[in-house]
Formats: sequence, C-alpha cells, structure tokens
Amino acid sequence: MSIGAGRALRMAYIVAGVGGIGFFLMSVVLLGYWPGRVLEEQTRRMSPTMPLGLSVSEQRGREVYAREGCAYCHTQQIRYLDADIARFGAPTLAWETQFDYPHLWGTRRIGPDLSRASGTRTADWHYLHLYSPRTLVPDSVMPAYRSLFDGMPERPRQEARDLVAYLETLGRARELAGPEGEAHAREGCNCPDDHMAHMAFSVTPVNGSPTRPRAEGNYPMLPAAADPQRGKELFAANCATCHGSSGRGDGPAASALVPRPANLAEHRYSFDRLSDVLWNGSVGTSMSAWRDHTVTDLSAMAAAVQSLSMVEPVEAPSEAILALGGRVYQANCIQCHGTNGDGRGTAVAELTVRPTDFRRQQASLAASIRAIREGMNGTRMAPWTDRLNADEILAVAHYVRSLYPDASTRAGQP
Amino acid sequence: MPPGVEESTPRVEVSLVTAHGLAALITLLASLAFGIVAAIELLLPDLFGGVSWLSWGRVRYAHTQGVILGWLGNVFFAFLYHAVPILSGRPVTSAPLGRWLFALWNLAVMVPGWILVLAGISQPLEWAEFPLVIDILAVAGLVLAAIQFVPPFFRRGVESLYVSSWYVIGGLVFTLLAYPMGNFLPEVVPGARGAALSGLWIHDAIGLFVTPLALAIIYYVIPAASGRPIYSHFLSMLGFWLLFFVYPLNGTHHYVFSVIPMEAQISAIAASTILGIDVILVVTNLLLSMRGSGFIPADVGLRFVATGTVFYLLVSIQGAVQAQMAVNQTVHFTDWVVGHSHLAMLGFATFAGAGGLVHMWQRLPGVRFNSRACEWSYWLLVTGVTMMVVDLTVAGLVEAQAWQSGAPWIESVRAARPYWLIRALSAIPIAAGFIALLVGVTTGTRRDVPTDARDVAVDLRGADRLRPRVAPATVEPA
Repeated sequence: MSIGAGRALRMAYIVAGVGGIGFFLMSVVLLGYWPGRVLEEQTRRMSPTMPLGLSVSEQRGREVYAREGCAYCHTQQIRYLDADIARFGAPTLAWETQFDYPHLWGTRRIGPDLSRASGTRTADWHYLHLYSPRTLVPDSVMPAYRSLFDGMPERPRQEARDLVAYLETLGRARELAGPEGEAHAREGCNCPDDHMAHMAFSVTPVNGSPTRPRAEGNYPMLPAAADPQRGKELFAANCATCHGSSGRGDGPAASALVPRPANLAEHRYSFDRLSDVLWNGSVGTSMSAWRDHTVTDLSAMAAAVQSLSMVEPVEAPSEAILALGGRVYQANCIQCHGTNGDGRGTAVAELTVRPTDFRRQQASLAASIRAIREGMNGTRMAPWTDRLNADEILAVAHYVRSLYPDASTRAGQP
Repeated sequence: MPPGVEESTPRVEVSLVTAHGLAALITLLASLAFGIVAAIELLLPDLFGGVSWLSWGRVRYAHTQGVILGWLGNVFFAFLYHAVPILSGRPVTSAPLGRWLFALWNLAVMVPGWILVLAGISQPLEWAEFPLVIDILAVAGLVLAAIQFVPPFFRRGVESLYVSSWYVIGGLVFTLLAYPMGNFLPEVVPGARGAALSGLWIHDAIGLFVTPLALAIIYYVIPAASGRPIYSHFLSMLGFWLLFFVYPLNGTHHYVFSVIPMEAQISAIAASTILGIDVILVVTNLLLSMRGSGFIPADVGLRFVATGTVFYLLVSIQGAVQAQMAVNQTVHFTDWVVGHSHLAMLGFATFAGAGGLVHMWQRLPGVRFNSRACEWSYWLLVTGVTMMVVDLTVAGLVEAQAWQSGAPWIESVRAARPYWLIRALSAIPIAAGFIALLVGVTTGTRRDVPTDARDVAVDLRGADRLRPRVAPATVEPA
C-alpha cells in the first residue's frame, strides 16, 4: 500500500470517527431533543394554567413507588389504542406527565396500568392491598409490602400513607381540569381533527376504568341468571375475600375495611339494587365496580348474592307500630334516607357514602335494630340510642323494613 | 514467544483476563439468582414473607443491572485484555490502570450498586437502575476502559484495523456517550420528554454497548478458532457502519402509540426494519465465515459463538417485526417482550460472551480448562434459552389475547401462570449451564505453555483487504 493511500485511510478514519459520533448525536437530536421540544410546546399550550403538582407527602410516595419497582409491573402510560382506552381511560397527554421526575412509564404490564388510579380505590383498600394483596385479590402476584406497616394493615407507616397519597394523584390533574381543561387542551393542541385527536380528547369520562365506583351512572338491568354454579364460582373468586364465603361480611379482608363489607346474609337485595352496585360500585366504600365482567357473569353473581340471604320473615308489625315508626322516620331520617326511603334525602350531596335505599334492600329486623342502635362505622349513620328509646327504635326498624316491596313483586326473582 | 508470531506481539495481561473472567461468572451467577427469585415470586409471591430487600421489584432491578454491567461488562473486559493486544499489536495502556478498573467496576459499581438497589436506593429507569452515585462511578469505569483499550489502536497503524477493533472502539466510545444520557438526563427532563430519552438508552444499552462488544468477540473467535479469515471484510465493515447508523435511531420503538410525536415513532420503526435487514447482512457474512466448521462446530468456543450468531439473527428479525405497529399493539407490555430481551441478552450476548471466555481460556497460560464441562454448559444453555424464550413468546400472545378480550385484568394473570411455571423451570438448565461454565474454567488440566499470542497467527487483521483471502498457514506454538 502506498503512503498516499495510508494517509487517505487515516483521514477516512478521522472522518468516520467524527461521523460515528455524529450518528449518535443525530439520534439524540432527532429522537430525543426534537420530540422533547414538541412535547414541551404541547405541555405549554395544553396544560391548565396552574396544574396541581405533588405535595411533599405525595412526592415521597412517588419515591417509594420508584424504589420498589412498581413501574416494572404497572405502566403509567395509556396508549392511543382502543383496548387501552376502554380499560383505563383517555390516553396519556404530555402535559399530564410534566411533574414526573423521572418518568415511570414502564414497558411491561403484569398488573393494570395506573395512570388513572386516582379515585378508583379507597385508602383502606390500598393499605390492605399493599400489606397483603392476596387477602383482597386471591390470584394477585403482587409482592406484599409488609415493611411499610407496623405489623397490620390498619397501622400504615408514613411511607405507606405517602404511597397511597401518591396513588391518588395519578390522573388527578386531568380530572381536576374538567371539561374546560379538555377544551383548552384540544384548542392548544392545534392538532388535526383525526382519529388520534378523537382518541385523545373525546373519551368521557377521562378515567374509564371499569372498576372505578361512580356515584351516579346508568346500569344495565341484569337478566335473570341461568347458571347458579357459575355464580357461586364467581362469588368465591371475586367477592368472598371481603364478604366471606357465606356472605356474612366476614371475609379475611373485612376487618381492615371501613365501612365493613356488607353482610349479605342478613339482607335481601332487589335485582335492581344488585345490578346498580355491581355495575357502579359503591362510592366511599371499598366496593369497586365490576364493569369488566360480562352482564351474564354479573347476573350470575347477583343471583349468588340473593341466594345467600338468610333473612327470615317476621310477624307483621301492628299498624300502631308502623305509624310510630313512620313518625320517627319522618322526624329523624328523611334528610339522608329521603321521605320515601329511597336514600336520596336533601343531605345526600354532602355524604361520601350513599345512604341505604330501603326500597331496594331490606335488612333483617335484628340488623336494622343494630344499625340504628350502633350506627354504621365509616358512614354518617350515627348511633341513635341517645335520641330514640327502645320502642321507637323497634318501630322505625319495622317501618324501614316495610318499605321494601313484597317478595313477589321483586324483579329478577324466580 | 512462539515462532511465527510477530516480534511486536505484545504482552497479554493474563491476570486481568482471569480476574475479569471469574468476576464475570460470579456476577452472572448472582444475576441468575436474582432472576430465579423474581421468576419464583411470580408463582409464590409470599415465599419470602414480604421481606423488602427480596421483593420482586428490587431483585428485578438487581437482575438486569447484574447481567449488563456485571456479567457482560466483565466478560467484555476480559475479552478486551486478551484481544486488544493481539488486534492492535500493542499492549493495553497500563496494567495498574487495569487493576483500578477491575476494583472500580466490581467493588465500587457492582457490589455497592446491588446493595443500594436491594436497600431501596435506586432509580426506576430501565437498564439504569443503579442510583446516580453508582452511575458516576460506572461512567468513571467506562472512561478508564476507553483509556485502557482504545489508545493501542491509535498507536498502531489505523489503516489495518480488523472489524473487531472497530466494534471495540465504537462500543466503548458510544457507551461513554449513551450511558450518561440514559442514566442522568431523565432525572432532570420530566415525563414524556424524559421517556423519549429513556427509550433511546434502552436501545443504546443493547445496541451501542452489548452488541458491538459481542460482535467484536464473534468476529474475533470465528477466524481465530476456525483458522480461516472472515468471509468478507467489506461486508463486515458495511455492517459495522450500518449498525452504528441505525442502532441509535431505534429507541423510540419502545413507546409506540404514545404521545411522543408520531414522526419520531415512525422513524424509529423504519430504523428497526432497516436494522433487521442489516443484521441479515452481518449474520450472512458471519455464517459464511464458518463454512467448513460444521453445523455444530467441534470447537466449543466457536460453537457458543456460532449459536450466538444464530440467536442474533433471530432476535433482530423478531425485533424488526415486533416494532411494526400492527404487531407492537398486540405484543407490547406482554411477556413476548421479556422473551425478546432474554433472546438478546441470554441468547445472543451471553453465548457470544461465553464463547469468547471459553476461547480465550483455551489459550491462556496457567489456567485450568475443562472442555467436557464447557460442552455440557453449551447444551444446557441451548436447552434453557430455547425453553424460556419459546415459553415467554407464547405467554405474551396469551396475555395479549386476554387483554384484547376485555376480560377482567386478573384473567391475564391467571392465564400467564402455567407459562411462568415453565419459565421458572427453564432456570434449571440455565443455572446448570452456568455452573458448568464455571466448572469449565476452574477445573481440568492446567495449561502451562505461555501461548498468549497463539491465535495471532491467524490472519485477523487487514481491514484494507476488501476481498476474502485464504489465511496464511496457521502456526502452532512450538
């Protein structure tokens, strides 16, 4: 090889070296810096003016989430795909992630995406689920985070409180922004009115999680169940951890939840009531919604719940007792439970947990008396023994039970 | 010095080769243990009763960092101590520097990194889980490595660099650039913007660190073990430059259908497709270079490398396919991708690393070598990797199907369980294979002949030669 060629090759080597580093820089500019600029601009234009960031506790919770590798099973990124949107809600926008140092998008979903975890579960549920996941979800493979607690789920340490506070921030900013925020974002986006824009902004509600309880919502009237065995299996797999295998509200998870899971054995529920609660869940309690199950399965579950009822018929109370009960009810109970007992009194807007609708569910006489005497922990139902005497309590218990329609008129009953 | 070897053939730092080689195997076994714990915890989540340092997330962090930095980092360094003097005709920069690098990499990066991650001090970024303080030490280690291994090439006539040398220089220099981008920037660049950078690093870790150095080993071992030069230097250089052009442009394919601008996503998908085609080119050249060595080469080092090459082809074609939107929307987030990364790291890179290790151990003076154990290792690992990757690929499709059906989430977890069991069982042949590899390099007869430069005799050099030529007669040591 001539010296000239050697020199030329040396030059080529330098050019190639510089070019090689150029390749790397090009990749960072094209796929890191430039998209970053676009995303920054999107954030600036689409974000609410003063989006809610993280409090100190929430930030600490985020650090717990990060160090435990939560993001390696739970993504925080809803993709522009119908399947993602149907299961979790509106796709993640750039401005929603502006406080995420560092991002926790994840690349594997063993558990569900958590971008819109806010408002989906109660703090009790989270504490118990972190302490002992399989007590609530028998087939879960989530690790138990015992070290965040002082020996029991009811005694969370600060780290557990921080973590749950952080979980409640996921998706919060966009929900707080509301329809005005969505309109602002859509305008700021200045994006073509294409399929992606439709996906990004037209999902209502923003949090579409099928397990999220909602206070008001249409629900399909469940058809009469055809398969009692299926209902029993579904109950055992999904409901028994809280409500207990015989429905007495004494499942392994029950003691950690406030309010306690309903004792299904000492209630009778109309199919309408069960359709509502299975479809919409029960806001303010750990009863999530079950909209991810098919209507057929839900009706089988509802039938299984009805079959657990152990409420015995009692001797009909006298007219005098019912009259006394009616007077006591009108004087004390209508603000919450409504004049006609449908649980829609004037104070309902102020209450986290919906008052009982006596027209759709009936407690046993003993359970009714107990509720009035002792109140319901975790709800605004107070003990009434200082206001009502024993006769009045008995009378009003009979009265509210009488609001439940006769068995023969209940829908869905065989 | 054996006859026939150039007078200038420099000294190989044997003690550093063996030190890094053994550290590689020890960190490999530790990383394997973390992986096994994580695999079993998916089946028996309460096995360790909620002990925080053994919880799934933390051992998952320790597993991947151990594999890429501990096992692959050490085995690459071992290979470089063996190969750089032969490739460049110069000794590495400094033996004392090598001792510092060894101590820094293993005692200041790996051990404290693992302890911190398990203690809960980490960062939640994939392939970047060691905390920032460890990242600083790791970058220092990469700087030392670049100082140690790159200058010998500059001091030699650069016009006669063999393709392995290009991959070594490229890998070390690019990793030095990419590592800080992936480990530091997402801490200061939030959310989607940070994710765009993380996506780049996830692919740069494999594309700019693991792949170049693994290919350097493959390109080195094939001619050195078979005694025949590479089929085409031209194709190998074309492959090299194409790889370095398209590999860094792949990263965004980890976030397809995200809010990251669609143009960036599509560019990355296009680059992934070109990469797949380029790898076909590279592997064709490699396979042609192995003509005459048999379908399953008799030389166990070459056998590892040959199988690593096939895994490289498979994983790259799979990668190009799964980057396509139609496929990605189904398999992304599932165990399919976990299978893919094991095909890359455990199939391609580990087989290349093991092949390099076995190859150099056969040629190092004063070390024990047990060829039978290495053969066992090969077959056990082939069995384990195949079992695991096939299983996880099917698992991914099953999970995707459960998600698409709209069934409750937990159904996908239930459906995955039998596959997770098979995955955990695949750890048996894999663990046995790695233990056999350790046995292979620590037992058996001890080599006494100082033959550190034996394979120099094989024509590795000559990047200027653009056509295949017959190797000069292999010179056996006296």
